Amino acid sequence: CSPFSKLQKNGTQEEKYKGALEYYKKEDWYRAGMLFEELIPVLKGSNESEMAQFYYAYTQYHQQLYSVSAQLFKRFYETFARSEKAQEAQYMYALSQYKDTPKFNLDQSNTVAAMSALQDFINSYPESEFREGCTKMILELRQRLEQKAYEKAKLYHKTSGFNIASLKSAVVSIDNFQKEFPDSEYNEELAFLKVDSQYNYAVNSLETKQKERFQDAVTFYQAMVDKYPSSKYLKQAEKMYETSVKEVERLAKLEKEKEQQKQNDANRPAKVTAASN
Amino acid sequence: AQVRIGAGIPTAPPATPVSDLNNYADPKEYEIGGLTVTGTRYLDPNSLVSLTGLKIGDKVRIPGEALGSSIRKLMESGLLDDVELFATNVTDSKIFLSFQVKDRPRLMKVNFAGVRKGEQESLKDKVKLNLGRVITPTVTKNTQLAVRKFFVDKGYLNTKVKTTVIPDSARNNATMRVTVDKGEKVKIRHIALNGRKEVEESKVRLKMKGTKEMRFGRLFTPSKFVPKKYEEDKQKLIEYYNKLGYRDAAVESDSIINNGGNTIDLVLNLNEGQRYYVRNVSFEGNYLYTADRLREVLGVNKGDIYNTEDLEKKLNGTPGQDLSSLYMDDGYLYFSATPVEKAIEGDSIDLEIRVFEGKQATINRVILNGNTKTSDHVVMRQIRTLPGQKFSKTQLIRTQRELATLGYFDPEKIGINPQPQNDGTVDIEYTVEEKPSDQIELSGGWGGFIGFVGTLGLTFNNFSARNITNMNAWRPLPAGDGQRLSIRFQANGRQFQTYSLSFVEPWLGGRKPNALSVSISSTVFRQFNQVDLFSRGTRNATAIGDYKNVAVTVGLGRQLKRPDDFFSLSHSLTYQRYDLNNIALFGNGYNNGLSNNFTFNTTLSRNSIDNPQFPRSGSSFSLSGSFTPPYSVFRPKDYKPPVEDRFKWVEYHKWMFDATWYQTVVGKLVLSARAHMGFLGRYNSRTEIGPFERFVLGGSGLAGQGVFALAQDIVGLRGYPDRQVYTADNNRIAGTGVTSQGGVVYNKFVSELRYPVSLNPSATIFVLGFLEGGNNWGSYKQFNPFDLKRSAGVGARIFMPAFGLIGIDYGWGFDPIPGVQKANTGQFHFTIGQQFR
Repeated sequence: CSPFSKLQKNGTQEEKYKGALEYYKKEDWYRAGMLFEELIPVLKGSNESEMAQFYYAYTQYHQQLYSVSAQLFKRFYETFARSEKAQEAQYMYALSQYKDTPKFNLDQSNTVAAMSALQDFINSYPESEFREGCTKMILELRQRLEQKAYEKAKLYHKTSGFNIASLKSAVVSIDNFQKEFPDSEYNEELAFLKVDSQYNYAVNSLETKQKERFQDAVTFYQAMVDKYPSSKYLKQAEKMYETSVKEVERLAKLEKEKEQQKQNDANRPAKVTAASN
Repeated sequence: AQVRIGAGIPTAPPATPVSDLNNYADPKEYEIGGLTVTGTRYLDPNSLVSLTGLKIGDKVRIPGEALGSSIRKLMESGLLDDVELFATNVTDSKIFLSFQVKDRPRLMKVNFAGVRKGEQESLKDKVKLNLGRVITPTVTKNTQLAVRKFFVDKGYLNTKVKTTVIPDSARNNATMRVTVDKGEKVKIRHIALNGRKEVEESKVRLKMKGTKEMRFGRLFTPSKFVPKKYEEDKQKLIEYYNKLGYRDAAVESDSIINNGGNTIDLVLNLNEGQRYYVRNVSFEGNYLYTADRLREVLGVNKGDIYNTEDLEKKLNGTPGQDLSSLYMDDGYLYFSATPVEKAIEGDSIDLEIRVFEGKQATINRVILNGNTKTSDHVVMRQIRTLPGQKFSKTQLIRTQRELATLGYFDPEKIGINPQPQNDGTVDIEYTVEEKPSDQIELSGGWGGFIGFVGTLGLTFNNFSARNITNMNAWRPLPAGDGQRLSIRFQANGRQFQTYSLSFVEPWLGGRKPNALSVSISSTVFRQFNQVDLFSRGTRNATAIGDYKNVAVTVGLGRQLKRPDDFFSLSHSLTYQRYDLNNIALFGNGYNNGLSNNFTFNTTLSRNSIDNPQFPRSGSSFSLSGSFTPPYSVFRPKDYKPPVEDRFKWVEYHKWMFDATWYQTVVGKLVLSARAHMGFLGRYNSRTEIGPFERFVLGGSGLAGQGVFALAQDIVGLRGYPDRQVYTADNNRIAGTGVTSQGGVVYNKFVSELRYPVSLNPSATIFVLGFLEGGNNWGSYKQFNPFDLKRSAGVGARIFMPAFGLIGIDYGWGFDPIPGVQKANTGQFHFTIGQQFR
C-alpha cells in the first residue's frame, strides 16, 4: 500500500489537505488533484475551501486538462470575486481557454470563447502585467480565424475542377473574406483567385450569361490592380483581363446584331410568322 | 451603542433589518465597519463572509445594488435555507452588517419503502437525488412527484407517495425517506365507443395503442391505464378519423368509471360527423407558376377524400416530391402554403391554398460547427449547398445524407440551420457531432488443419497521413483527414503468418474525388512433418516446405459524372510474388519455384445503395478485368517453358462480374438478389492456365480464416464445406480425388430475404433466409451455367461500428459433390466483415 493510497483511504481531512499541499509543492499534479477533488465538497463553507479550489484548478491546468481548468478558474473568480487571487484566476481562465483552442481546420467555437475571455480580462484589469500577452494571444487567435476563412474560400476554388458551380462559391466566399478581414495578408492572393474564379466561371457559362460574367471578371481585375499594382499574380490576371474585355466586346456586338435581326424580323411581312406556326 | 450595567451579561446590540434603512429619496453611502455571519450551526462563518463579496472598509450605498447581490451570492452557494441582513450599528459614516443565516441539512441517504429492489434502482435514476446535496423543499416535493409519476406511468393509478426528511442531529445530514403505497395495478375492464357507426370498431380500437381492454392472453400489450397515454390515444383516434375524411370527428365527452378495486371502465362518446370530399382546389398568391401547374404538382383532385394529413404531406412532405420543393429548391426559402377551407357545401369542400412565394434567397455563407476531430475540408467537400447558389431544400437533405455516410458523425445529431439575412441571402449552418469511427478486430479460433489462428486487425477510418510527423496530433493516432488506414495481423505461431497494411486517400490532391489506394501484404506458410510437429511443437519443429507471398497494389479510382454520378472507374497495378518451396499447395505437381504476377486491373462500377448497413433499395454493379502482360505473344512458337520454372511469369486475363439488387417487399422485409460470375482465360492456346487466381467455392467465403487459402479467389457457397465445391473434371489429381486447384470459370446466384431486428446505429441487427446456387468448372468445355450446387438456409448479421459486420448462417446443401463425403449436410458458417461474393 503506497503512502498515497493510505492517505486517500484513511487520512483525516486535515491530513489530506496537508498531503495535497505537499504533493502540489512536489509538482505531483495528478495526486494533488485527486486529493483536492475529494476535499472540495467536504471543505465547502470552511476556511481552506478557497485555496483548495484555487490549487485544484492549477493541478488540472498543469495536467493539460485545459477545458476543466478553465471551468474551475472561472468558478473561482466568480465565487471569490474579492479574493487576492481573483485576478490571477481570471487570467488563468483566459489562458486555459487559449490553450484549449484547436487547429484552424476544426470547429472554432473555443477560439471565439478564448478571444472573449482574454478581452474580458483586459477590460477588467487594464493595468495588469499580463495585458500585453493577452493582446498578443487575441491577435494570434484572430489570425487563426482568418486562416480558416482563407482556406475555406480557397477550397471552393480548388475543388472547382470537380464542380464548376464552386467557382461562383469561391467568388462569394472571397468577397465575404475581403469584407471580414480587409487588412489580411491573404487578400492579395485572394484578389487574384477571385479574378481567376470569375473568369473561369464565365468561360464555362452559357453564352446568354457570359457577357455579364466576363464584365464582373473585368471589374474584379480592376479592383485588384488598384489595390496591388505590383502583385506577382498580376501577369497571370492580366491575360484573363484582356480576354474578358475582348469577350465583352464580342458579346455586345453579337447582342446588337441579334437585336437588329429581331427588328428586321418584325418588319417582315406577317405571313412568315403565320407559316411557322 | 448601548452599555448596560448590572447583570453583566453582554447581549448582542439590537439589530435593525437593513431594509429599514432604505430611503429611496435619500440614498446614503456608508463604509462597512464590521461584517459578521451568525446563525450557522455547521458552516464556518468566516468563509461565508468571503462568499458575500464584501469587505470591511468597502463603501456601500443604501439602498443599492451591493447588499442585494451579497445576499444573492450567499443563497447561490446552495448551502443556506435563509439569509437576512441586519445592521447591528449605524453611525454617520459607518455601518456594521450582520448576516443572519440558517443552514440546511445535506442528503446522506435515501430510503425507499414499499418498493421492490429492481424498482428502487430505476427510481434512483429517475429522481436524480445526488447524495451530499442540500435538501430544500423543492427537492422533496419534486422527488415525491417523480416517484408518483413513475408508478402512474406503469399503471398504478392509485399510488400514494410520502416523503419525510429525518435530520441527523449530530451532523449536518439528513435521511430522506420515501414511502410508497402503489396499490393495485389498474386495468381497463371495458372501453365503450358510443357513436361509432361508419368505421370498423376493431380498427378504431387498434389506434388506441396504449389503452387496451383487459383480455385473457394479452401478453405483449397488457391492459393498463396510463392517463398520459390515454390522452394521446384519444388524439390518435381523431387523427385516424380525420385521415378518412371525417373532418368533424371529435370525442365529445368521456368518462372514467371506477369499478372499485383494480379495474375501471372507459366510456368515449364519439361524434363521427360526415365524410367530406374535395371539390375545387384553387390557389391564391401564386405569381411564378400557374394554378394548373401547382394543382398538378400537389396531386389533390376533385372527388378525393378530404384527408388533412395527406394534404399536409403533399404541401410539405418528402423533399423533391411535394409542392414546397417546387419553390424551395429554387431559392424561395420563405415559401409557405396554407390550405383554407373556402366553402363547405354538403359533403364537399372547396380548398383554397394560400401561397406566399416571398423572395429568392441566395446562399452566402456555409458554416460548419462541431467538427472537433475531422478537418474542415473533409466535410466541406461533401456539402452540396454552395455559396452563390439558390437555396435548395433538396440539396440540404442530400447534404445531410452525405454527411451521415461519411461515418464520422452521429447521423441522428446532424443539425441544419438556414439563417436568413436581411440582404436576401441565407447562411446555412451545419452542426455535427463526432463519433468514434475506428474499428478493431480481435479474434481467435480453431481453423481446420492449422489449429489455432489469432487475428488482430485495426481500421482507422479517419486517418491523417500528413500529420504523421506531428507528435501533438497522435491522440492516439493522427486523425481528421478522412483517409483510411488498416493494419491486420494473423498468425498461429511459426506455421502461418500474414501481415497486411492498406491505405486509402479518397481525395488525392484534394481537387477531385480521385481515390488513391495502396496496400501491401506478406504471408508465410510452413509445412511440418506431422510426427515432428507433435513431438517438438511448432517452435522447434523443422519445416519441410514453405510458401511465401508478397503483394503490392496501387490503385486509383474516380467518381464519374456520366451516365450518372453513381458510377465510378478505378485502375490498379498489382505485383505478387509466390515462392513455393517443396510444398504441394496446388495439388498439380507444381511444388517448387518462384512466380511473378504483374496485373493491371480496371473496374467499372455503379453503386446506388441507400444505406451501407441495411440497404433497402438501390443496386450495385461491378465489372472488372485484370490482365497480366501477354508474355507468350513475344515468344517463339515452339517455346517450351522449363518444367521447373513453368510459372515464372504468370500469364492470364480474368473477368469478374458482380451485381446486387435490393428491394423492399412489404413492410420492413427486404429482398436482396445477387449474381456473380468470373472467368479466367489465356492469351494463347499454347500456354496453360496456371494454378493462380482460380476460383474456389464453398463455405463462408472467408479467405485465410482457418482453412488456408491463398493465391486463389475464394467464393462462399453456404450449405457446403469450405472450399469443397468441385466438379468431376480433369481438375483433380488422378487417383486421389483431391485437388486444391479450383476452377477457371464460376457463377453463383443468391436470393435473400432480410428482416431488420434493430436499426440502431450502434448495433444494426438483421435476420435472413437465403436460397443460393453456384458452381465452378475446370475448363470451358464443361462449363454449364445451369449445373448449380444449390442450398437454402437462415442466418443473422450484426453490425457494430467498433467491430464491423459479424454473421452466422446455417445452410443445407441439396446436391451431392462427387468425391466429397457428406458435403451436402447442414453447415454452420461464421463470417467477419462484408462478403462481396
